Amino acid sequence: MSLLDRLGVELPDPRRRLRQLAFPLVAPSTPRGVEALPEERRTGADYDTAWARTFRARWTRTVLLEAVLRPTAAAIARPRRRGIDRLADLQQPAGGSVRPVIFCANHHSHVDTPVVLTSLPEPWRYQVFVGAAADYFFRSRATGAAASLLLNAIPIERATVTRRSADLAAELIDDGWSMLIFPEGGRSPDGWGQDFRGGAAYLARRTGAPVVPIHLSGTDRILPKGAKRLRPGPTTVTFGDPIHAEEGEDTRRLAARIEAAVAALADEHTSDWYSARVRAHAGQTPGLSGPDGPGWRRAWALGDRSPRRRRKAAWPNQ
Amino acid sequence: MPRPGLVLDVDSSTPPIVFHHGEDFVLEKLPAGRSRVIYPPEPHAGLKDTDAAIRHALEHPLGDSQPLSSLLFSGMKLTICFDDISLPLPPMRKPDVRQRIIEAVLDTAAAAGVDDVEIIAALALHRRMTEDELRHAVGDRVYDAFAPSGRLYNHDAEDPDGMLEIGTTDRGELVEINKRAATSDLIVYVNINLVSMDGGWKSTATGLSGYRSLRHHHNVHTMQHSKSFMDRHASELHHSNWRMGKVLRDGGVKVFQVETTLNNDTFGTSALDTASPLSMLQKREWEWTARDRATFLAVQAGLKRMPARAKRAAFQSWKAPYAVTSVQAGEVEAVHERTLEQNFAQHLVPVEGQTDVLTMGLPYICPYNVNSVMNPILVMCLGLGYFFNMYRGKPPVREGGVLIMRHPTPWEFHPVHHPSYIDFFEQVLSQTTDPVEVEKYEQAFAEDEWYRHLYRTSYAYHGVHPFYMWYWGSHALQHLGKVVIVGGDPKAVRRLGFSPASTMADALEIASDVVGPSPTITHVHNPPLLMADVT
Amino acid sequence: MKALEFSRKPARYAAAMIAGALRPGAGATVGPLRLRDLDEPAMPAEGWVTLRPRLAGICGSDLSTIDGHSSRYFEPIVSFPFVPGHEVVGDVVGGDHDGQRMVLVPVLHCEVRGITPLCRGCASGDVNRCERISFGHLEPGLQSGFCESTGGGWSETMVAHPAQLVAVPDDLVDEAAVMVEPTACAVHAAEAAARALGDGDGPVVVIGAGTLGLLTVAALADGLSITTAARYPHQKRLASELGASTVVSPDELNGAVRLATRSMKLGKDHASGQLTGGAPVVVDCVGSEASLAQALEVVAPGGTILVVGMPATVSLDLTGLWHREVALRGVYAYRREDFASALELVARKDLGRLVSATYPLSRYEDAIVHAADAGRRGAVKIAFDLRKTSERKP
Repeated sequence: MSLLDRLGVELPDPRRRLRQLAFPLVAPSTPRGVEALPEERRTGADYDTAWARTFRARWTRTVLLEAVLRPTAAAIARPRRRGIDRLADLQQPAGGSVRPVIFCANHHSHVDTPVVLTSLPEPWRYQVFVGAAADYFFRSRATGAAASLLLNAIPIERATVTRRSADLAAELIDDGWSMLIFPEGGRSPDGWGQDFRGGAAYLARRTGAPVVPIHLSGTDRILPKGAKRLRPGPTTVTFGDPIHAEEGEDTRRLAARIEAAVAALADEHTSDWYSARVRAHAGQTPGLSGPDGPGWRRAWALGDRSPRRRRKAAWPNQ
Repeated sequence: MPRPGLVLDVDSSTPPIVFHHGEDFVLEKLPAGRSRVIYPPEPHAGLKDTDAAIRHALEHPLGDSQPLSSLLFSGMKLTICFDDISLPLPPMRKPDVRQRIIEAVLDTAAAAGVDDVEIIAALALHRRMTEDELRHAVGDRVYDAFAPSGRLYNHDAEDPDGMLEIGTTDRGELVEINKRAATSDLIVYVNINLVSMDGGWKSTATGLSGYRSLRHHHNVHTMQHSKSFMDRHASELHHSNWRMGKVLRDGGVKVFQVETTLNNDTFGTSALDTASPLSMLQKREWEWTARDRATFLAVQAGLKRMPARAKRAAFQSWKAPYAVTSVQAGEVEAVHERTLEQNFAQHLVPVEGQTDVLTMGLPYICPYNVNSVMNPILVMCLGLGYFFNMYRGKPPVREGGVLIMRHPTPWEFHPVHHPSYIDFFEQVLSQTTDPVEVEKYEQAFAEDEWYRHLYRTSYAYHGVHPFYMWYWGSHALQHLGKVVIVGGDPKAVRRLGFSPASTMADALEIASDVVGPSPTITHVHNPPLLMADVT
Repeated sequence: MKALEFSRKPARYAAAMIAGALRPGAGATVGPLRLRDLDEPAMPAEGWVTLRPRLAGICGSDLSTIDGHSSRYFEPIVSFPFVPGHEVVGDVVGGDHDGQRMVLVPVLHCEVRGITPLCRGCASGDVNRCERISFGHLEPGLQSGFCESTGGGWSETMVAHPAQLVAVPDDLVDEAAVMVEPTACAVHAAEAAARALGDGDGPVVVIGAGTLGLLTVAALADGLSITTAARYPHQKRLASELGASTVVSPDELNGAVRLATRSMKLGKDHASGQLTGGAPVVVDCVGSEASLAQALEVVAPGGTILVVGMPATVSLDLTGLWHREVALRGVYAYRREDFASALELVARKDLGRLVSATYPLSRYEDAIVHAADAGRRGAVKIAFDLRKTSERKP
């Protein structure tokens, strides 16, 4: 374990600091009894990210990705990348241009995005945008700007795909941009996955872009939801076989296929590829969302998912 | 649209021709008015979606075979065998086509619920593959799923309990192959056909066999009657393998053959492909751009300054951007005929008549020195075995003609990979280079315990393997009046029974002693590979 | 008379040591060997005769003396100053054999020294094992050519006891006759090898293909499988001609023996490495540290290494000798009977062809350098020619 881990890095909480400041350092509060001016919404899903795809912003992002994000991700997450060879056919340029792809990953942690972005192979590495929660990353203009510049994020509504965010994403994919999206709609609260939502499948059907499932493991131990402390550790990024929307397939079925593919990658990660394939074909792939039951049982079963412990029973078989 | 090959008559305006010279390149000006250069066809386009093509081939088999998915059932014993490190040359970029096919086959097997699967590198008497080499061939997923539990391994032809006698052919040839494969409900053989010698029944009857079986066709008589061994219908080597194939089939060994062909894009055709610094080698010299010429000069200058070890490491690390041009699966013979069509389409160049002299530049690699040293015996085998036999009809050089090859031919051996080669070079070739005489020493090497031990436990070619190298060149030795090696270590060249020369001009001078003054010359341009269709 | 004399001169000896280490044979120029005009040696006793050498060979032991790297072991069993030369064919003057051409048997044993009763070695005919080589009426000296009293072959005149002389048939030319003495050594070595081999079928390994190595091959050849390590092309050719079944370079020997004996090997290096099996008999005709170490690698467990080439102080790891129960055995010179076999062998195998060049005494420096560098210069045996011009055959 690194020094960083032993010291335990406290993440700063800027919000608490901000609250201690007073006007005019912060915006004034509106007095009671006065009708406030109608607010022009420029945050959330309405945040305009076009500037983040200008030449200068792209160039800045490339530098930040290589000089800041990559060494940071390498130091904190030590990602092991597997399965990139499955993308060989997609990597061949079709008609001289890059084929856009929708990368769908499971989501545990804020570390996920940097780990995936730094793991993407050419030709997608610098030609990708991230679907980010409009209500989280774009709640203020400052966080929105940071997310846009650093991650090339665009705001996506969590609950339902709104016209505006879907149009923007589809437009970008048609322009040759690839997309990274976490179809669970948010970080896992307890280390187990949540059901995949339909956004990625919808976009895949609409644009015809292939979906590449990605399974991330280990990031939940580094910075799970709610944690205040980074615990650096190893991670694995597993790329799966590209999924193409079939003729007449609806969004729901495609989304289910994507989820199954990520689940199979998880299975492959904890056992071996062939056993995972056998289970996948038999419909016995362990689900991403874990067993039902009380919280402790879910937490207990989580231990089985570490590849290092996969052959040990939790307690002697009865 | 790739252009076909061509035969260029050399005149005074012809630029010098690039020759391979081991881990080096040399430009040679061939005599105008009496020389011709055979240029290979340009690389054919690869399959658009290889994985889809593989799945299609598995489910739409050729010949009288059922689709793969209906041959697989729960509770069966399945063995997947694949071509070893000797193919392709140089090794191809990841993902290797073997990995793609094996994954597709395994995925189909997983769907059928097959549990008893073993995967075998069908290397006959070649050296065992290392973990890295196996990972490169089958991919990490397959390796990690099968190797730790001992279900992915190298064939061992000297395992007393590992071989099974199937029968004998009507010519009395013993057929013995890997026992696990022979006793499986189905063998899926995953092949790469870089040249037309590979594949067909040779895959199983040779790749999975051992010395007791191989000696029936890996011998001087057979090789002298294989004209050439690249043309299966004129090759005694293949006839014998096909007879053995019949014994296998009649003996109940069920083979589902998957064959693939590659194009000849050895060094990358795109100048924009930054990973291909040698892409100009794929072009015809008069079409080299200023950038190509500058790169060539820079590469040559760099190579000159590099120590031999570093040069070898650099060349051995090259992975060719080969594209898969076809995948076919099903019954062995039907599959192989389709494969040969594809091979010939990529490699054949029509050539008229024979000349007095044949020249060739030998590269740094041959089937038996991947990640290793190209020793003098391998130089002989590559030149007189493989390259000389890259013809259909008749050799491009007349009987009694002279072969001139370029290669540094260092007196150097890889001590781990080629121990029996050292003894063969020191003790057999010092006595005789006549293949028939050489054959008399074969048994002592083939049955030597030490070589057997190294073959089984280390990474050594089998004791008898250097003999096969010599037999591979026996048709050429019989056909040719003389062999000259330009730029080789004179001592090593003489030990091989050939004449050393320091320049091409000297070599042609030596040749004229045999074939008369002003001989006519054919040069086979390489890279990339080609096959002369001589009429 | 003209003679090459080797005297005790420590400073010159030291110079020879240095020069000889830099360039083989250079000890002749700076060392204690000098061409002098000496008085003819006096008869040591009644019955001795004068021998006028015709040809006298230069032997490996002579060279190591001249280049100053022979063992100090020799100090008490030689006497200075001496005239070297013990491979001699010459004309006898006086006595029963007056005028006959005879070969010298140079060992100075009891009978020659006038010692009675004979020591145990001499009594059983093993004159090479004589226990009295520095006693009796002669000065110390293991052989003529190392003894002050007898003179040596590198001169116009020496003296010899009749027991030291073997007649040469008329049809044997001088060049062949001068090979008889070294051939007798080889015959003796071959007998030792045959004894060590017993009923086994070999192969017998001969390390070294200088004069002694080649002659040993010739003496062993009939019916035995012989593997010889030879460094130079002419040595390889001669070794095959003389009957070696396998001829290899020294660094190829381990591989060849391994293959021939179906042995396994320890260690990864191809050129060296301890064999687990090996040859039952190894005849080391070099006697150097390297050759002995190699002999230990290629000899079979329970086998025998015969040291035929003269060694000196060497440093060897004998663990293998202990562990594999190997016998290390010296082989020196010959019994008198060996000369009869040697004469026959020299004639039958035309061993006279091994004499590559002859020099007059006056060009002794060239001769010594040539002999010391024989292998590289394509030569085998170098000899001094002491005949008058008219006596030489064309």
